Amino acid sequence: MESSVQSKSQTVDIPIRPPNGLNAERLLALKGEMEYLNTIGKQFVAAFDRFQVHRALLAALKEIYSFSACCILLKGNPFDLFIIPCYPLNASFLESMIQRIASAANALDFPTVTAEQLTRSAYFDAPDELAQNRAQGELSSTTIGSCLNIPLTVEDRIIGILSLFDEKPGTFDANLLKLTTMIADYAAVALENVRLRERENALWRQAEFERMRLELIIGSMAEGLLITDTNGTIKSLNKSAEQLLAQAQTVLTSGVPLRRLAETSDIPWLPRLVEIIQQALSGKVVKGQELVAGKTDERVPLTLSISAAPLHEAGEFSLKPSGVVAVLNDITSSKQVERLKDDFVSVVSHELRTPLTAIKGYTQHLVRRAERRLHKLRASEPEHNHPEQHDLHSLAIIQSQTEHLERLVNDLLDLSQVQWGDIHLHYTTFQMKAMLENLVRSVQASAEQHLLMLEVVEEETTVTADQVRIEQVIGNILDNAVKYSPHGGQILVSLRKQAQTYHISVKDQGIGVSPEHFEHIFERFYRIQNTASQHYAGIGLGLYVAKAIIRRHGGHIWLESNPENGSTFHVSIPVVPPTQSAEQATA
Amino acid sequence: MLPIHNNSSSVSREQVTEAYLQAIGLIDERVAPYLGKATTRVLVQGAAKRLTITYPFLNCLVNRPYTALIPAIIHEQLGSITANELEEGLMALLDACFAGLRELTGDLIVPPLHDEVTNQLQQLQ
Repeated sequence: MESSVQSKSQTVDIPIRPPNGLNAERLLALKGEMEYLNTIGKQFVAAFDRFQVHRALLAALKEIYSFSACCILLKGNPFDLFIIPCYPLNASFLESMIQRIASAANALDFPTVTAEQLTRSAYFDAPDELAQNRAQGELSSTTIGSCLNIPLTVEDRIIGILSLFDEKPGTFDANLLKLTTMIADYAAVALENVRLRERENALWRQAEFERMRLELIIGSMAEGLLITDTNGTIKSLNKSAEQLLAQAQTVLTSGVPLRRLAETSDIPWLPRLVEIIQQALSGKVVKGQELVAGKTDERVPLTLSISAAPLHEAGEFSLKPSGVVAVLNDITSSKQVERLKDDFVSVVSHELRTPLTAIKGYTQHLVRRAERRLHKLRASEPEHNHPEQHDLHSLAIIQSQTEHLERLVNDLLDLSQVQWGDIHLHYTTFQMKAMLENLVRSVQASAEQHLLMLEVVEEETTVTADQVRIEQVIGNILDNAVKYSPHGGQILVSLRKQAQTYHISVKDQGIGVSPEHFEHIFERFYRIQNTASQHYAGIGLGLYVAKAIIRRHGGHIWLESNPENGSTFHVSIPVVPPTQSAEQATA
Repeated sequence: MLPIHNNSSSVSREQVTEAYLQAIGLIDERVAPYLGKATTRVLVQGAAKRLTITYPFLNCLVNRPYTALIPAIIHEQLGSITANELEEGLMALLDACFAGLRELTGDLIVPPLHDEVTNQLQQLQ
């Protein structure tokens, strides 16, 4: 206890002038009461724990009474009962005391409490300096002579009971009852303050424990964790994030918004990170964005997968996030495995292509020879059913399946190129209309059940693009249109020119695509899993490669459902490639 | 125990309720300076809780302070109770309150207060 508080209050001699008929004697008594209350008030205020409150309480009560024991029962779950006895206290006396406290608690409508419960939870606090020592040989009484139970009240709320017991009868005085209640009120407020302080400390310890635990979890995470404030300034990085940045040979200056860092820094991947963070700051959740953070000349550079989400303060209703939490995953090893797999596929595809070319060539040769022979035989014996006719049919099947195999092998080769950005375009200038006519004619030849129609409004359809690749894309869409229209129907190909773009659409009347697949249908190896499409062959690469080719041209490819049936694929291709148009603009 | 009024059948339930609420108010007035404002309220609630088994209509005093009770509303809830039954229950409540007060302060404040309450009840009924 601080000395300034512990010391008795300084008495200042103020000249006393009896006002309103109060005589000097009464004023002196009043002054004495005030000094007494001031002294005990200071002791209660200075009490920092419940035992100091007990000492202050006993010190105050002993000024006015002499008693055998003082008890404090506090409400709670469980109840707290503190007994401050005058040693030695007889066991029967103690038992009677507890019984009386339980009765008083029940009278004051405390939650049900029994003497047995109180006996179990009783705590003896015996400050030696305040305990009354019995005279040698003096025996303690077994019965209670006097008892006083005062409710401990804080703001009209009873928080417990102060009980005083004495062996002698008539110890407590009605004239001192108000003063006793006043002391009890001081004690109640002091005990409530202690309780609140203990609760605050417990909550603080719990919060600190949770903070440390969270810090430990974040520190031990294998994933990198990056937290920014509302300006996009990095506020926190865990150890894994620091290691990932170190691997990327990047040092991000703290306290500077990432957007400003990206403007001045030569870190190539920083603008992409800023873009992701900005998206999250605008309230979006960004998932699994790949970011190449290593040197691009490395075979498989350090690649990170970043997911970011807006951070809202607990209990905050504002829609604006207070920051962003981003998780960084090093996916370089999976990229390495992917690269190995793609390399393997590429090598195997190349190796398959050589015998395939030979099979295709010789099949063509055999078909032509069979056709010529059949032609001669039909000329000499037109009515005769020639076995060569069956040979030709068999060869046509071999040829068709070889072409199918060739397309699969080409798709696998393209996959490898698309995957690692190695797809090269050979731009030529050609007529889009003529290219589409050839394609439609070619597909129509092998699709007897379907009616392919071409609709071209413009006469002039010159375009600069990689003709082979564009043919590959449109051919793939047409193949799909035929494949997924098992009952035939019309396939309408239309070409329109819109500003500096050609818009090609292919509309079929087939089984169509459900809207939930629209987002994924251009992903690699994506196959629609439903009963309508499970009978169709394919490895889910054609549209993935098609999208890569069109994007490489600076165009777009998308899909929409037809209101009645089937689906429509749309492709837009710039009339002039983006790099060329930029050059033209500069010139 | 407080004396039961000999001629209780002649008084209405309203009068009985009013008289006993005023008696509790008197106890409150006398006890508050000694034991604080909340004491009488909790003594009444505790007593009502213990007596509810015998006098179910006292349940209305269990969960709210007696000062919040409006006699007119109580009467609506006491449709089948006679004035005698009501008086008996309220008197048991007063007795229980005094018993509770004795548990707290022994005979320091109860005897004179008991006399005062008895006088007031006799005057009111």
